[in-house]
Order: sequence, then C-alpha cells, then structure tokens
Amino acid sequence: MRTSLKPTQLFAAACLAAGVLASGCQGNRSEAPPVHIWHNMDFQNKLDPQEEYDFFFAIDCPEEAAKIAELKAKAVAHGHNPDHLPLPEKTCRGRAMRNAPAGTVARGHLKNDDHLYKGRGPDGRLVDELPKGIVLSEELLNRGEERYNIYCQPCHDYAGTGQGIATRRGGGFAVQPANFHEDKFRAMPLGHFYDVIVNGKGTMLPYAAQIVSVEDRWAIAAWVRTLQQSRTTVAMGGK
Amino acid sequence: MPAIFPRWTNKIPLAIAVLGPLVGAGVIFGVWYYWSPEFTDVGYRPEQPVSFSHKLHAGDMGLDCRYCHNTVEVAAKAAIPPTQTCMNCHSLVKTDSPKLKKVRDSYESGKPIPWVRVHQLPDYAFFDHRPHLAAGVGCSTCHGRIDQMTVVQMDQPLSMGWCLDCHRDPDNNLRPLDRITDMNWDPHSEEALAYNPNEDPERKRKVVPPEHCSGCHR
Repeated sequence: MRTSLKPTQLFAAACLAAGVLASGCQGNRSEAPPVHIWHNMDFQNKLDPQEEYDFFFAIDCPEEAAKIAELKAKAVAHGHNPDHLPLPEKTCRGRAMRNAPAGTVARGHLKNDDHLYKGRGPDGRLVDELPKGIVLSEELLNRGEERYNIYCQPCHDYAGTGQGIATRRGGGFAVQPANFHEDKFRAMPLGHFYDVIVNGKGTMLPYAAQIVSVEDRWAIAAWVRTLQQSRTTVAMGGK
Repeated sequence: MPAIFPRWTNKIPLAIAVLGPLVGAGVIFGVWYYWSPEFTDVGYRPEQPVSFSHKLHAGDMGLDCRYCHNTVEVAAKAAIPPTQTCMNCHSLVKTDSPKLKKVRDSYESGKPIPWVRVHQLPDYAFFDHRPHLAAGVGCSTCHGRIDQMTVVQMDQPLSMGWCLDCHRDPDNNLRPLDRITDMNWDPHSEEALAYNPNEDPERKRKVVPPEHCSGCHR
C-alpha cells in the first residue's frame, strides 16, 4: 500500500527535524555563553577573584566616572531625568579585588629582613650567601631548577646563555637577555640575582609578582649559580 | 440515539499506547542529550579582547602553564595574568603589532584587559586548584589540549557527575607530580597505565578524594 504524507504532516515533521538540527550536537563550538537550564543558585551575590564590580567604578575609573557625572549634571540642568540618560559604553570597569590602602601592611607581611627580602646586608650591599633558614640542599636546587625552567628559561634558555625561545621568535629581542656565563655575571654576588628577579634590570621587567615566594627566588638564584659553576673549569691539583 | 463519540475516537487508546512511550522516550533522550553540560557548556569559546593564542605560546614555544597562571599551585584560582606578564616579552618583541595595541594601552593606563572567563562553576561548588595539582591532576585532564587551541574553549563538561567520575576512580587520572603541566601526557600510554600513584615515593600523602557533599559544597 502506498501512503503519502499530507502537507500538514510534512510540515510538522520538517519543524521537528529543524528543531533538532538547530539545537546542534554535543561539543559544538559556540561563542554564546553556556545556557543554564536551571539557574538554582549558580549565580550568587558574591564576588570571585578578578571579577569586575561596578561598586568601585568611580575609584578605579576616575576619568570615565567624571565624564558620566558631567553628562548627568547637564541633563539635570536641562530638566531631564539623569537616570534615563543614554550613557556611552564603559571601556573601564571597577574591580572586586582591592589593593591594600596606601601606607598599610597586612599582618605577617612586614618585610623587614633585608637579607631575605632584598638580598642586601645591613650595609645595603648585595649579599653573597643564602639567608638564614634557606639551606643549600638537593631539594633547594631541584626547586630552583624547576622554577628557573618555568620563569627564566623562555628568555635565558635552559643553560643560561640568554638565547631562550622567546628571543628567537617574532623578530627577536632588540636587547639580548643576559648570558650568565659572562665574566661580569660570574663575579656577581648571589644577592644580585635575587635583586634582579625582584626589581628587574635594564629591559627585563620585575618578576616579583610572578615568583611570589621568596624561597623560590633564592632557589632560582642558587640554580643560576649552579649553572655558572657547571661551566667552570676546576684545575685538579695532584699531590 | 446517535453515538456520543464519533467512530474515530475508538483509535485514541491505541494512539496513546503507541505514541505515549515514543514521546516519553523522546523527552528522556532530549533531556539526557540536550540538558547535559556536555551540550550546554562544552565547546564554549568566547571571543577575547586580545586574540591571544595558546597554541603559539604554550604549544609552539612551550612556555609552562605556570609562567602566566602562576597562582595555580598555591591558590584556589589559576589567575589570569596581569598585563605586565605579557609585557615581559612584548616590550621587546612585536612592539608595534596592532594586535597587541590593547595590551600596550592596558600597560600604560594600568586598566586591566577585560578578558572573558571561559570556565565557570556554579557559585555553590567550591573548586580549588591547589589540592588537585598537589594530587597530580594534570592541566590537560580538565582543560584539554590547550596547547593546540588558537581560541580557548571548554573541553570537559565540568559537571558534578564528571567530577565524581574521577573522585571515585582517581588512580587512572593522576600522573607523576612533575608532569602536571605536560600537555603531551597521554592517559592511555603505557607509561600512564603503568603509573600507580599509591606506590609513588615522591608523594607524601595518600590520594583520598572526597565523595561526600561538603567536599565541594560548603
């Protein structure tokens, strides 16, 4: 028996198929944010690190806030409701995370040990030994090697010759990174490498924000010294 | 007396008997397939203000994940890097590239680049990167082959069932602690299959992922 679909049935089937196809397959790429079918408490009235927060707009974006205030003042002067004003799109956002107020120190963050935190002795000169509490050990050097390979190797390369991958891509660096095996760096005290990590030097920006732990910075300094030693020829004295 | 119901109504019970289960099965399939985070979340790849390529930086150049996401081992969140991290190199490389204009502007003005968040859990799930890295869960286990993504997208559903799959069977999803950021780690390789976290001398703690509610929902 031959059957043929009526136009209405055909239409219904086409709608169904279109609906299914339009909703795509699992894993399809999309630039639209994920759909939350049940919101439940997915989005709560709290702030995550690094989120934006309009409450601090006036503090974080003083210029834009001043512009908006000016527009609103004009609207009021012309007898318009300032809340119904079409405002320009914000290019700057307030931040949820706040800096500590100027001149304050968080508990436990008073960095008054110059040797540990600045690599300098009481006379203000760079020190040539590890601070108290950081012991030269296999673990320290392993840690130093690991951290060096994460943060320093991209420019200074694994061996410390200043020819890392970043210096060989995209046209290269205008100024080459330091080669630790040059005599002037071999003569530097250990504190010098700590100081450069924290404050940067020349075209190198400070890494204090990336290598937060002081122990890690000293471990890297010790590893730099190890790299230098690895290329030192030691005369074997015979008896 | 004429019939109250026309003759075609005799077919209603049959239609319900046949179509009812079909519709029911269709609804169940639809919910299972289309309401799953596998469908709603995986593949989300927002357009970022700067077209940063992880494929170039993490893949071709081999930068360690922690060069930029440096808080991941010590904090709950793997922080998005500040603009200065970009400028570490880009104050010297590609200094006049128009693609990097927003980065340079941000560095000069001190205003952050408005990066768009890709991975976001519900606010009642308290995920912490730190213990996961300490236990040897690799970056690519949850984030996929970031080193092959020009535009970062969600690779895994990050749903509760997906979390529990691993919490109930951690051994097959862990790796040696020094291979966490290794993007080439293949969970099906011989090396991975031979690895037993419970016999790893480098580990100081036994792996006991929580399966109770308050492990993640505080």
